Amino acid sequence: MIMKAFTLKKVKVGFITLVLSLGMSPNAHALGIGDKVADFSLLGKQGPVKLSDSAGSVVYLDFWASWCGPCRQSFPWMNEMQAKYSAKGFKVVAVNLDARNDDAMKFLAQNPANFTVAFDSKGQTPKAFGVKGMPTSFLIDKSGKILSVHLGFKPADKEEMEKQILSALGGN
Amino acid sequence: MESVPVKNTSKKSRVFGALLASAAMLLPSAKNALADAAPEQAVVSMKYLNYHDSQTGDTDLTAGMSKDRMTVNALSFMGMVPIAGKWSVAATFIEDSVTGASPAYHGWGFPEDTTSGASGDLRHAGDLNVTRYFSRGTLTLGTSYSQESDYKSLGCSLNGTLSTESRNTTFSFGTAFNSDTIDLNKEAVVHKQADPGHKTVFSSLLGVTQVMSQNDIMQMTVTLTHGYGHYSDPYKNYDLRPGHRNMVTFMTRWNHHFDGPNGTTRLSYRYYSDSFGIQSHTLDAEYVQPLPKGWEITPSLRYYSQSAADFYVPTGDNPRDPTPVTGLEHYSEDQRLSAFGAFSYGIKVRKELGRSWTADVKYEHSEQRYNWGINGKGDPGIPTFNMSAIQVGLSRKF
Amino acid sequence: MIIMYGLSGCSSVQPWEKQNLAKPEMTFEGDRLDTGYTEHIYSSKEASSGGAGIGGGGCGCN
Repeated sequence: MIMKAFTLKKVKVGFITLVLSLGMSPNAHALGIGDKVADFSLLGKQGPVKLSDSAGSVVYLDFWASWCGPCRQSFPWMNEMQAKYSAKGFKVVAVNLDARNDDAMKFLAQNPANFTVAFDSKGQTPKAFGVKGMPTSFLIDKSGKILSVHLGFKPADKEEMEKQILSALGGN
Repeated sequence: MESVPVKNTSKKSRVFGALLASAAMLLPSAKNALADAAPEQAVVSMKYLNYHDSQTGDTDLTAGMSKDRMTVNALSFMGMVPIAGKWSVAATFIEDSVTGASPAYHGWGFPEDTTSGASGDLRHAGDLNVTRYFSRGTLTLGTSYSQESDYKSLGCSLNGTLSTESRNTTFSFGTAFNSDTIDLNKEAVVHKQADPGHKTVFSSLLGVTQVMSQNDIMQMTVTLTHGYGHYSDPYKNYDLRPGHRNMVTFMTRWNHHFDGPNGTTRLSYRYYSDSFGIQSHTLDAEYVQPLPKGWEITPSLRYYSQSAADFYVPTGDNPRDPTPVTGLEHYSEDQRLSAFGAFSYGIKVRKELGRSWTADVKYEHSEQRYNWGINGKGDPGIPTFNMSAIQVGLSRKF
Repeated sequence: MIIMYGLSGCSSVQPWEKQNLAKPEMTFEGDRLDTGYTEHIYSSKEASSGGAGIGGGGCGCN
């Protein structure tokens, strides 16, 4: 009985998903920045990490991996931003995409992260968010709308990105 | 922020959450173009080469023709600096010194004085490349030079790459120009003339690099070269070559990573054909095996086979005597234009020293024999040719 | 080339799946000074030259 109910729920959910996706598709390519993010739940360093935990904060959502060179360069900067703006309601959420968790832990031992780290070794969240390169970061405002998408990480980008964070914090 | 009610934390629920998330959330368009970025670190490296070749008269026909030939000592430097994540500049510089001698024709005719001919000579060469990194491609402008007492070469090139959005397919294209000046008035030149010889070469390249899987990547390249000018070897007797040379090269390479041992095979095949009538096949294979404590070992194998040039004149009954060339429009008795095959083996060992330094040592040995080729009958009067080289290098990242 | 395209259609590797492709030994560049020496040696002792790239230093060999 429980199994049948579960299957029925699956079908319902699947149907809703289909309808939603069909309904949304004409707009899917027309919009970019301005889309609302949906929640995810992943394992973190201590317990689960849900994107909804940060509702009401400006979130810098970063997708990274241990083998990605520019990711290494971005960590000190993300530490700096988290320290500087956490009081103003700013949160860095860095999702690791290493297939092997050991590689991620070794990287974190050498590059400490003073911000929220989540692990998605199956690669479901980057697929959902449409990640096109490593690293990719999304700046999300307090109401859950995407303000900007940034591919790659170069030292020259730091100034511009910090400006965007400031305006997101000051704006709302 | 829309949120999917998660009844439990089982994997299935998370998948549902993600599915709904992907439906509810629209894929943001990549307004910031995908970054094809400059390397993160600068590199400086140097490498020393010691090369030696010799020939062995190991058949009845070539008995007594064994001889040590040429020795080369070289030192080269390379520096690469990324700039602002959008540019990089790379330069190399090399100095090499050649001693010993090469045969004047076929496998004989060594000069009495070993400092004559194209030997006892110091050569300097260098190149400079500037690369601009764009959203999905790169553009590299290069310039090169090579100078020795009797030969000067200048070149410039433009190379570019263009990738698809997924970066799984990359197209490469390039074009290069080279202009050489050859001093034909040196002491050891066979047919001296006051005016220098000139050679002009144009090349172009087209290639595709394709990611085949998480562990496979392949590349195919076609290169076309058109050159005209002085092709004859000034120091070789009996050497009069056509005044132009067109070449086409087709190369395919495949790298495969093995998850188990964490090693990588690197295979390549090259087919070459030119208007001199030369066709060749080259097969290269190497296996890169990382080892604990920052060591890495790479054994390698190479097989090469070439046909003879249309105008190659083989040895006669006595391989120590040159063959008459009367009545021939073009001719050469340079063994490098004969048909032969060659096998090489090599081994390279690398070690990481701390966070920034790397040291490497490589040994390679190659043997050419007239009957090891698959491109036609070789010249049995050419003795077996051996070459070996040791490279020692040091590199630092910044 | 057609074969390569056909095969590539089978699976598209995602950016976060490129951990092995990112390794230096999986690229087609290599130790620049090493290949510089090796290519110079072989093209000086054989009739063929080139293949992987163009625009390197002039050979100075005839």
